[in-house]
Amino acid sequence: MANSNGWGDGAANNTIGWGQGANNAIGWGDIQADSWAGLTDITGVPGFDADAQAFFTAANITDATQKTAVNQLVLDLKSYSLWTKLDCIYPMVGGTSTTHSYNLKNTATFQITFNGGVTHSSNGVQFGGVNGYGNTNFNPSTNGSQNSHHQSFYSRTNVSAVEIETGGTDAGSGSYVAARLSGTSYFRLNTLTDISIANANSQGFYIGNRTASNVVNGWKNGTKVVSGTVASTGNPNASLFIGAWNNVPNPVIRYYSSKQCAFASIGTGLTDTEAANLRTAVQTFNTTLGRNV
Amino acid sequence: MIQVGLLTETQKDELIGQLYDSDSYFNPIQDIDDNWIISTEEIEQNENPNFTWVRDLPLIEFKPKPNPPLFI
Repeated sequence: MANSNGWGDGAANNTIGWGQGANNAIGWGDIQADSWAGLTDITGVPGFDADAQAFFTAANITDATQKTAVNQLVLDLKSYSLWTKLDCIYPMVGGTSTTHSYNLKNTATFQITFNGGVTHSSNGVQFGGVNGYGNTNFNPSTNGSQNSHHQSFYSRTNVSAVEIETGGTDAGSGSYVAARLSGTSYFRLNTLTDISIANANSQGFYIGNRTASNVVNGWKNGTKVVSGTVASTGNPNASLFIGAWNNVPNPVIRYYSSKQCAFASIGTGLTDTEAANLRTAVQTFNTTLGRNV
Repeated sequence: MIQVGLLTETQKDELIGQLYDSDSYFNPIQDIDDNWIISTEEIEQNENPNFTWVRDLPLIEFKPKPNPPLFI
């Protein structure tokens, strides 16, 4: 319908953005504040989320598919209100030790330092099971919260071995995720006591999660597989490792992992919905990259 | 069978704290017999010209120290 602005009004909530529509889905080529749209989120305009772009710049990510996957991951984490709950997001994308080292949440913080035998590829980081690990430089005693904490690890490998996929400990408290040890998954969150559940396949996305002083749970592939009331005993003074356990009291024993990691994160405790949504976002990400399990 | 490179005590001291590529550090550890060893990944991926000699290390079977009971 013609009107005074000369372009015609679009119908409310329509899917076409030509003209001044209220709450329509497609704007016309500019940021919302400068557009003719009402409450429209501008879509269809080339460009990436600013946080995704910062990661591309720091890690020198140039591949179009990888950019699409990471950008969608950022958008999904933000739409699920997970972005603010994550201190470290390691997409393990780009195929090199440099690209895999960067923290998507903030490329200036908690960059991974790799040590020992690891192999980098488009499928992520293959830890060698001998002496390889990544130091996130995230120390829960200074960076974490004793009663609100999670760690995640996406394993592309199925093996049952005496290994820990991510974690760290001091003498009084520790955290880890062990995907499959003698057929069992183990989770420990800011304590010295585990929760565990039988697990026949170590492939998948694991989350160890604490949401209160006496509420802990373990997740696999978006399902809460075990929960408990283990009390927290402290925030370990130990930088969290990926691919091993930072065993500060006995650094000779680190339970080196032989699994391939295609995503990892560290952050505050997650609600059940948030934990399920984190898996959804990560699985979408890895599916786009053709490396989902 | 996993193989690893066997180090002397002096070689171990030289590698500690040193990069083998732009972002990755050598990590010598001891096996069950207290031999100092590094992984074949570190040997094969080494780009540090100061340590090209790692390619000449003798390879031995990896026998890890046993992991003590952990799970409570």
